[in-house]
Amino acid sequence: MSAGRDRVEATLDRLVDASVLERLQISLAALVFAIIVGAVLVFVSGLIVDCPDPFLSLPGVGGACYNPFEVYWTMITGSFGSLTALGRTLQETTLLLFTGLSVAVAFRAGLFNIGTQGQMILGALGAALTALWLGELVPESLLGALIVIPAGVVVGAVIGGLWGMLPGLMKAYADAHEVITTIMLNFIAMGIAFWLVQNHVGNLESDSVLTHTIPDVAQLSPTIGGTRFSLWALLAALAAAIGIYVLYDRTILGYELRTSGLQEAAAEYGGVNAKRNIVTSMTLSGALGGIAGSIYVLMVQYRWQDGIPPLGFDGIAVSILAGNNPIGVIPAAVLFGAMQSGSVALNLTLGVPPELVEVLRGLIILFIAMPEFFRMIGKRYGYGSDPLATDGGENV
Amino acid sequence: MNRPTVTRRQGLAIGAILFGLLLVGFVIDGGRALLGDVAGVISASYFAAVFRFTVPIAFAAMGGIFAEKTGVINIGLEGLLIIGAFSAVAALWGLSATPVGANIWVAFLLAVLASTLVALLFATVCIDFKADQIIAGLAIWLIALGFAPFASIIIWDRTNSPSVGTFPVWEVPVLADLPTVGPLFSATLPVFLLVLAVPFSWYLLNRTTFGKWVEASGEDPKSLDTAGVDVRRIRYAGVLLSGVYCGIGGAGLALNTGQFVGSGDTMVDGRGWIGLTAYLIGNYNPIGAFLASFLFAALDALQLQLQQIAGFEVSSTLVGIIPYVAVVIVLTFVGRTRMPSAAGEHYESDE
Repeated sequence: MSAGRDRVEATLDRLVDASVLERLQISLAALVFAIIVGAVLVFVSGLIVDCPDPFLSLPGVGGACYNPFEVYWTMITGSFGSLTALGRTLQETTLLLFTGLSVAVAFRAGLFNIGTQGQMILGALGAALTALWLGELVPESLLGALIVIPAGVVVGAVIGGLWGMLPGLMKAYADAHEVITTIMLNFIAMGIAFWLVQNHVGNLESDSVLTHTIPDVAQLSPTIGGTRFSLWALLAALAAAIGIYVLYDRTILGYELRTSGLQEAAAEYGGVNAKRNIVTSMTLSGALGGIAGSIYVLMVQYRWQDGIPPLGFDGIAVSILAGNNPIGVIPAAVLFGAMQSGSVALNLTLGVPPELVEVLRGLIILFIAMPEFFRMIGKRYGYGSDPLATDGGENV
Repeated sequence: MNRPTVTRRQGLAIGAILFGLLLVGFVIDGGRALLGDVAGVISASYFAAVFRFTVPIAFAAMGGIFAEKTGVINIGLEGLLIIGAFSAVAALWGLSATPVGANIWVAFLLAVLASTLVALLFATVCIDFKADQIIAGLAIWLIALGFAPFASIIIWDRTNSPSVGTFPVWEVPVLADLPTVGPLFSATLPVFLLVLAVPFSWYLLNRTTFGKWVEASGEDPKSLDTAGVDVRRIRYAGVLLSGVYCGIGGAGLALNTGQFVGSGDTMVDGRGWIGLTAYLIGNYNPIGAFLASFLFAALDALQLQLQQIAGFEVSSTLVGIIPYVAVVIVLTFVGRTRMPSAAGEHYESDE
């Protein structure tokens, strides 16, 4: 078992340690390939859909309703084309920064936290309940907001952190693989939150599963009218990214956190308490997920409501695209934020199902997962000769 | 070679956990009368329903066993089930416009084919392009989760398909007419396939040369290579088998319902993940995995039936998380299930 685990970690090691330039190339190549595959999917879908005036008529096949160029152009204008669009993009970016950092922090320590979604859901509930309770007690003023909003964020962080600590403890002291435990804890978190809100702490008069709306004083007021984007939250997210960069790349604690997850035995040999550091990394990761949930409630939804978007899974894509670099998470979060808000425009103006973005997200993750694919292509078309770099699975 | 079995300790722990959870359920949701109602619900037709519920979970679990035993962790089982379920309904719907007609058997085969093709993609990505298996598996899940509702909207203009028809019910002659247990012997194709697939999978893994290769490919690929067997081929076979199994499971789920539901987490709704928990709890043994799947399906069916008896507040949500809680507890307190030692690792032949 431990030999197997070491090898699993060696794989992570390889992912983490690839050079920055190579990571950047792979990320860009993955992006390009995902966009191309997405374009083909959109074009083919357009052949199936019926529409009054297809942009292209193919003899024998029928009319093509969706022009891939127009689709991507709509996504770009829909995410940056107006102040409202920009606000929507930055709103998503802010949340994705926190979930992306959550995944990246764990990844840097060689731990794969798929549980950000669950940490976020519970953190969101904690923040909502705190805001509901504290919001009644504080004065309706800036002072009140300065008490209740940070309190909501802190409670969310603590709950998310504790939920993230669980798989950390299981990994460090019981050797339970964090990939499996974090996936399972997502479902458990979702179930617990749903049950609590439905039966105990939610708005029991409503047919939907949701809490009451938090008071005005607890809401992060929008910076751009017509959106739910608060500049303060974005600044906090950027500060978190820089802070984590400094922590992991410039401090001894950060170094220890990284080595503990990657090479537990070596770190222990060097006098580091690796087990404790694994727990610390997962707790920090969970806390960031919890903060994402808090911000979602305080800035966007103003309550906990069933059907929280899969920001935690988007965070995996953000982190992987960023090569798990906290600074790289910033442009990656902007990109995914833009895709999210662009998909809304896509649905409204062209009628393309917004789920396209989910497919693109999956494709990006898939392509980044296989750097070897791009090396093979590079060898084949860039340098021409490598007998090993051929067969694509003819042996079936 | 180490043949994985469920130890007594593990069995006891699982039993204790489930008993404890039931007890908690009593305390939380109240009522000793529940016991009476539980007894009232349990009948042959209840078990027939449980078998239907088990189909997607157990097929995903057995598929996962084959993939992981060869050394490729297939975390995309949920995605493959979604592809199977969606393709079955889409194929049946699409076939009605062709000369073939709405033939449910052809649709079923096409769905298995679709799921297997996606598994082939996953295998190529993991084995030939040396992708990180966890990330690639996650990608397969996320792509399927986005693609199925996307394609549903393209085809049917909404995330849920119209009703397309279900498998006919087959009755085992004579046995189906028995009193009390009769309903167990009238079922649809996927249920009969499940009953065959469990012993078949066990036999394949434990009593055949192929099974030994599968085991070696995951435990000690170097030796297998030295013995002249192509590790790459075995791994492809393992992953493709998981595709076939998930195709049967997903198509079975959708064609028993007669509709594809693409909203939320789609109609598959975590059954692939429960399959993953089932084979971990069953410790990579198809029979153990089937029993765990059956248990989870039984709880789910029980919860549904109790829901219909008015006045009962059994939280379907809490019952729904039991499999996940159980697997976390098993992984943490009972000790590790024996993961194949080379799982997750690429194998490079020296030739």
